[in-house]
Amino acid sequence: MPIDFIAIMPEIVLTVTALLVLAADLALRGDAKQLVNPLATFGTLIAIGFTVFLWGDERTTFGTMFVVDAYAVVFKLVFLVALLAILGISWRFFAEGRYFQGEYYFLLLTSFIGMVLMPSARDLLLLFVALETVSIPAFVMAGLRKRDLYSSEAALKFFIIGVLSVALMLFGMSMVYGFTGTTDLVGIAEAIRAGDADVPLLLGSVMLVIVGFGFKVSAVPFHFWAPDTYAGSPMPVAAMLAVASKAAGFAGLIAIAFVAFEPLAEVWAPVLGVIAILTMTLGNLIALQQRDLIRLLAYSSVAQAGYMLVPFGLARSGSDAIAVNDAAVQAVLFYLAAYAVMNIGAFGVAIAVNRRTGLRSIADYAGLSARSPLLALALTVFLLSLGGAPPTVGLWAKFAILEAITVDVTAFGVVLGSFVVINSVIAFFYYLKVVKTLWMDEAREGLPTLQPGFNLSAVVVVLMVGTVVLGVLPGLITDFTSITSVLATG
Amino acid sequence: MGWISITIALPLVGALVLAVAPELSARGVRAVGMGATVLTLLTSVALLTQFDLSEPGLQLLERFTWIPAIGADVALAVDGVSLLLILLTTLLTPLILFASWSSVTDRLRGYVAAFLVLEAAVIGVFASVDLLLFYVFFEFTLIPMYLIIGIWGGTLRRYAAVKFFLYTLLGGLLMLVAILYLFGQAGTFDYEAVRALELTITEQRWLFVAFALAFAVKVPLFPVHTWLPDAHTEAPTGGSVFLAGVLLKMGTFGLLRYALPIFPDATVEFAPWLLAISVVGILYGAVVALMQADIKRLIAYSSVSHMGFVVLGTFALNATATSASVIQMVNHGLSTGALFLLIGFLYERRHTRQIAAFGGLAKQVPVMAGLWLVVSMSSLALPGLNGFVGEFPILLGTFQENRTAGVLAAFGAVLAAVYLLWAYQRIFHGPLEGADNQNTVDLKPREIGVLTPIVVLIVAIGLYPQPMFDLVEPSVDRVLTEVGVSELEVEPAATTSEEG
Amino acid sequence: MSFFEQYGTFAILVVLGCLLYALIMVVSRVMRPSVPSPQKLTTYECGVPAEGTGWTQVNIRYYVFAFLFVIFDVEAIFLFPWAVIVGGLDATTPVSPMFAVVAMFLFIGTLLEGLAYAWKKGVLRWD
Repeated sequence: MPIDFIAIMPEIVLTVTALLVLAADLALRGDAKQLVNPLATFGTLIAIGFTVFLWGDERTTFGTMFVVDAYAVVFKLVFLVALLAILGISWRFFAEGRYFQGEYYFLLLTSFIGMVLMPSARDLLLLFVALETVSIPAFVMAGLRKRDLYSSEAALKFFIIGVLSVALMLFGMSMVYGFTGTTDLVGIAEAIRAGDADVPLLLGSVMLVIVGFGFKVSAVPFHFWAPDTYAGSPMPVAAMLAVASKAAGFAGLIAIAFVAFEPLAEVWAPVLGVIAILTMTLGNLIALQQRDLIRLLAYSSVAQAGYMLVPFGLARSGSDAIAVNDAAVQAVLFYLAAYAVMNIGAFGVAIAVNRRTGLRSIADYAGLSARSPLLALALTVFLLSLGGAPPTVGLWAKFAILEAITVDVTAFGVVLGSFVVINSVIAFFYYLKVVKTLWMDEAREGLPTLQPGFNLSAVVVVLMVGTVVLGVLPGLITDFTSITSVLATG
Repeated sequence: MGWISITIALPLVGALVLAVAPELSARGVRAVGMGATVLTLLTSVALLTQFDLSEPGLQLLERFTWIPAIGADVALAVDGVSLLLILLTTLLTPLILFASWSSVTDRLRGYVAAFLVLEAAVIGVFASVDLLLFYVFFEFTLIPMYLIIGIWGGTLRRYAAVKFFLYTLLGGLLMLVAILYLFGQAGTFDYEAVRALELTITEQRWLFVAFALAFAVKVPLFPVHTWLPDAHTEAPTGGSVFLAGVLLKMGTFGLLRYALPIFPDATVEFAPWLLAISVVGILYGAVVALMQADIKRLIAYSSVSHMGFVVLGTFALNATATSASVIQMVNHGLSTGALFLLIGFLYERRHTRQIAAFGGLAKQVPVMAGLWLVVSMSSLALPGLNGFVGEFPILLGTFQENRTAGVLAAFGAVLAAVYLLWAYQRIFHGPLEGADNQNTVDLKPREIGVLTPIVVLIVAIGLYPQPMFDLVEPSVDRVLTEVGVSELEVEPAATTSEEG
Repeated sequence: MSFFEQYGTFAILVVLGCLLYALIMVVSRVMRPSVPSPQKLTTYECGVPAEGTGWTQVNIRYYVFAFLFVIFDVEAIFLFPWAVIVGGLDATTPVSPMFAVVAMFLFIGTLLEGLAYAWKKGVLRWD
């Protein structure tokens, strides 16, 4: 069977770009190395072009391993736009820091190849390869500032936890293969439905796979690596880990949970629901205590993962559950898209402030509104959006999750919904603490002026405008996510 | 674009101009703010001229597609109640900006922009007839108000601002969940469609509690009122006026517009409880107000008491009381708003709000004393002023429905006279001692200009309230018919009102 | 065999293993003579006296060379099945010989870029 090259064009473009970036890094010297950033950006734009071209198409290649449908395209677009934004916030950070620019962009692109592969993967093996392609470059990126102890600590923790989670997941996957005799996700579902699998052991292997993804999306109790890793990594890498890598984890989890293990939804849905409750509550409570903005964002991103796990807790099996499962997947997808916009934005502002001053404690953001009204306004918008205040896209993200709960109200759904509500209020407490510092506290004397530079400012402004515009007109995203009736449940 | 959307858009345009205009002098900023708000006032008066008094339902409907995927629209319309509250909002906002002419100089541009955005959001709350849109506006009012309290407020402003935000947010989120449930039942967020739903009594109970809690925090009802004294005391003058004048009304408006007609059976069931809570709030607010040493805190607690009257009237479920409670919303906005303005003017002169620091000021500042007295009288419901035409029918109607509640609430009215007049006496009468008191200067023409429209309305409504009742009664009767307790036929009113 | 029977066998094996281990240790402890001397208590390291602590550093270059070797070793694993199949390809097979050759050269080219990178970074020099 010939390979459908159109279907894998975005991946091919990214791969070629990554190789070119590495070659350019070898050829260029000194300041000219900066040029790899525009090169990477250019490649990303082409990849976006090909992805948009695939919109509305249904393609399958490599047997049934690789599928391009509306769901995959929306996910790929989220990843690629996130890549574009991360490239924007990275330029000055790495150009002025002068460390390993070429390697950074090469690794970044490689990691994103794995991400765009992820939503198309419909086979355990391809899913695993995609996940590793995301993770391995990320281990190195976390440790790019190798003379910084914290960066090394971040990389080491991330690596050990990452390898552990992959080992668990692989163990689970191999058992699933053993029980069902196939690695094809739809085939697994059929085998389970046919009932020729040994249920207790199969459930154990399902849990192992889910725990593996739990590490990836930093769900409690597998979250403890995340804050140290985010805080120690170079900031653009932290943004990439907190947003894109987490989104990739969710893409994989959706495929595994809603396609392969759909017949077992009654078993894993409550587990993921409880994990969701723990994740959002614990993430928020610890975030309350943070004094460092990046650590605050790190714990807040743990809590955000909790919100995104809530729809998994609603999943059901059987042919009458399609409406519920579709609503759940769409809610996760919408939340991820919104989360990418607002969280990258928040990291962008943190980079702008930190790069010149090296400051990252929340107290150092005092009076930012006087020093740089634009950055202060942008950070305010992003934080309010993370909390879910109108009129920002964050409101609609929370809304999508609550809406998924109301599709078919159950007692457990109500419990999950109450936790979302209570946690939103707790979360505002620490988001507002930062907002308060920005606008209502006096700045210290003698801080250098902030010059974020054109790229970073542009990215921050675009993301801020996006947050507000999508907050006023959420239809711009929902029109796309709502038709992603993703996953073959039959 | 119809008149309603223009009314909402005008302040936003003003805020946008302030956001993007490069260099603006303080004078320019104020001119933009005044221009936008006065134009908004004019368009809202235009709304009034378009309004058909004989029609009890929602009028001047405008509908734009918003989120096609879930069928939410930007749907705007007004009935008599919301129109009256929109007029109150558009009147108070320019007065607030005018009053802060000299007191706010720090980050003036942000201050004016925040008020413009706030005004637009509040008009949106009153005008939206799509539940989702209503929720968005309702929650959005928090952000500008949070910034107004937190940036331009007093010493404890940060604490007060966060408290204000979190209290009201929690209530709002509960309401969002209830709205989503209603959406699940009705398949749309459209207000009339939701209102037409037939809900079981169990559903009604739960949803009513969710809605009522959200609005009770906003009103605020005892015992969820504790954010209000802090927020009022720490907010800048303009913020206090807007909070008392308009934002609290969103709670009572919400009860009347959403909680009553959508959940009629639950309303009847819960009405005695709400009457009890209102009475407790009236008496508690009044007693605590008596003991305050800080004049602004005193008025803040008096708000708790007065808003208790509004809720009392609403849940008396009696044509007289419920209509009067709408009138009382406006009255409270005018008289308490004016009191906060006066306190602000006094504070600018003396930089203290402790009642003990003042004394004998009537000789020194006769104009201020005179206005203060008029406004206090209005607030304590002296016949002939506006407070009376609101409070008296509320008590009358409540008395007909629930004698005990009526009697107890009447005590609250008596206590109001005590704490307001006692405060007046301590500040303006007695010996004029101390250099501070002797050097206090009287109101400037601009400040008198700010208060004049309010005082004129206080007197005018007190003498001739009929046009306001004509505006409000058809809409209130429609609600009460839905609840099933109306004795009156809906009668078209005869005259057209020009009251603002 | 049911789920529990399979694991029952395994569990018995584990228990027996532990018991055997314990038995041997106890027997040797009881039977052997114990005459310790300082010489006997030192760490045994191939008959050579132990030097330094356990935290000695190995030169990083060993690691890098080993790593590069593994990469190209793995490449051979991919090359071998390709070489077996490529001779049998013609126009009738789903994949043309040309396609197979191009694909393999792309693969080798990618690895060569990695080698060039390592070379340029000075990884291949030993001094």
